[in-house]
Amino acid sequence: MKVASEAQSPTAEVLSAPRPHPAGQLSLVPLWALFVLTLRQHVHGRRWIVMAVLFLLPAGLAVLIRSTAPDAPPAVIEFLLAFMFIPQALLPLVALVYATGIIQDEQEEQTLTYLLIRPIPRWAIYLVKLLATLTTTIVLTAVFTALTYTAVYIGSSSGFADVSRRCLTAIWIHGLSVAAYCCLFGLIGLYTRRALVAGILYAAVIEGLLANLPFGLRFITVIYYARVLAYRSMDFTLTDHGRKVDLADAAWQLDVRNDPGLEGHPQLQACVLVLTIAGLACAAFGALLCARREFHVKTPEGS
Amino acid sequence: MHPELPREVAGPPEVKPVVEFHEVSKWYGNVIGINKLSVTVPAGVTGLLGPNGAGKSTLLQLATGQLYPSQGRVRVLGRGVWNNPSLNRHIGLCPEQDAFYEWMTGRDFVYTCARLGGLSRPAARDAAGRALETVGMTRHQDRAVRGYSKGMRQRTKLAQALVHDPDVLFLDEPFTGTDPVARRELMAIIRRLGAEGKSVLVSSHVLHEVQTLTPNIILLNRGRLVAEGHVRQIRDLIDKHPHHIVLVCDEYRRLAGRLLAWDDVEGVRVQARNRSVVVETHAPDAFYGRLPELALEDGLAIQEVYSDDDNLDAVFKYLVNK
Repeated sequence: MKVASEAQSPTAEVLSAPRPHPAGQLSLVPLWALFVLTLRQHVHGRRWIVMAVLFLLPAGLAVLIRSTAPDAPPAVIEFLLAFMFIPQALLPLVALVYATGIIQDEQEEQTLTYLLIRPIPRWAIYLVKLLATLTTTIVLTAVFTALTYTAVYIGSSSGFADVSRRCLTAIWIHGLSVAAYCCLFGLIGLYTRRALVAGILYAAVIEGLLANLPFGLRFITVIYYARVLAYRSMDFTLTDHGRKVDLADAAWQLDVRNDPGLEGHPQLQACVLVLTIAGLACAAFGALLCARREFHVKTPEGS
Repeated sequence: MHPELPREVAGPPEVKPVVEFHEVSKWYGNVIGINKLSVTVPAGVTGLLGPNGAGKSTLLQLATGQLYPSQGRVRVLGRGVWNNPSLNRHIGLCPEQDAFYEWMTGRDFVYTCARLGGLSRPAARDAAGRALETVGMTRHQDRAVRGYSKGMRQRTKLAQALVHDPDVLFLDEPFTGTDPVARRELMAIIRRLGAEGKSVLVSSHVLHEVQTLTPNIILLNRGRLVAEGHVRQIRDLIDKHPHHIVLVCDEYRRLAGRLLAWDDVEGVRVQARNRSVVVETHAPDAFYGRLPELALEDGLAIQEVYSDDDNLDAVFKYLVNK
């Protein structure tokens, strides 16, 4: 077979033809398009409705408790809902549902092909989709946390400024927690097709059980750092019949009585740093994994 | 490639191949998708033929960088395809799977693909409009994809493959599930793309579909290359093997008797229903050369002569069944 010289080759002309962006350069246009596409995917379908209904639960429970037990202190309701129910149950769940499907959903719905054949590096596909997932879950968490605070404190004697400050602090802590969960579950979603099962096991055993034991093992849980963050930045004590009660002490196994300064626990900055670094490490590892592995999209031929 | 067939490469010899597979194997665990495949695809329209499970989709997924070869090297437009996203500006794929973002309209879907391809908003809008017009979907572009017929879905998939004006198009079973009218129209579109200078690799397991699109074919079976080249070249390749020629004649039985006496005739089969005989020969040129004499003999007026092997179907069956 005769081989053409480069001058005769159509490939040389083709590759030098004007394109939206020169070869090798990473353009922001497809990345932004992917970000928008992922956001739109998140707000379509039943998943969005289920998540919204679940996130309405704390606000609904607050209304129910306040209407059936008008004497219940709002601070107790706030602690139970905003610092027990939401971080323990809802945040891992929302992260699990959205983050494990970052790539897996596209793969199962066979639409991943449309992303893989675009001028977007594989690592960027993962990171951009993760970023969109973080945006969705953080916005969802912020809106419904604010709604919960509204339901807990509306009509109470608590000052607006104080409640707003507490609400913003809760949103900040929840946002950081859900981001860490998303990064972790996103990585799990790349590792196993049974990411939902693995994630539920993780949330139940590691976050649910280990975090509540006063041992060093809880240092590997997200919820532990979220609790220390909350305890260091908010006051969870209230006066009951002249006696000061610390709601978080017993519930979070912080041993405040023997260690009032929480010397045995990380500082606020350290908690933020640990959650941020852990999240970034999971994201980077996920991106690396995504760049190196191939994704088999089922074809009707089955080959 | 079939071991007995001499290696031929299709297309004009002066032109560098658009797609090159060099000793490529791809296996999924114990299952072999592609087996030591070396093949080149020239510029223009090329048909990728093979039965279901032959490895056509695997080949296209390797060529578009979705899969990494277990062995060997894949190049498109002279460049490696794995983890080479900039190459994707030059290639388009119409995948086999019937998958979409179902909640989108056709226009939205193609526009989104254009944006993912790196086009600015106005450019993507224009390109989506053009691509949808090319595939005849302008009228239905504002309907949700979930309500589309199979033919409309295939056209929309083709539109997303075309929207960024790629130089090389990979079409995986683009006619599957389409009605005859849609099929004809899709074929016309593909022929037009070829005429416009695009390189198109069309996979199909239906021979007549590809036959009407291009004479350049690649035959795959069980992950192996069976043959490649112009359909004529392939027919020439199988001349080493019995070549079938059909002679239609009223006195077909007498004709069969005469033909049996010829040294280069391997066998003769009578087809009473068609009033014809099928001759099996290894020397078709010599046979055709002596045929006029026979036709002139009294009572042996041969009404029609044609080769079964001119039909791609026959070539395909012959080669694949080997």
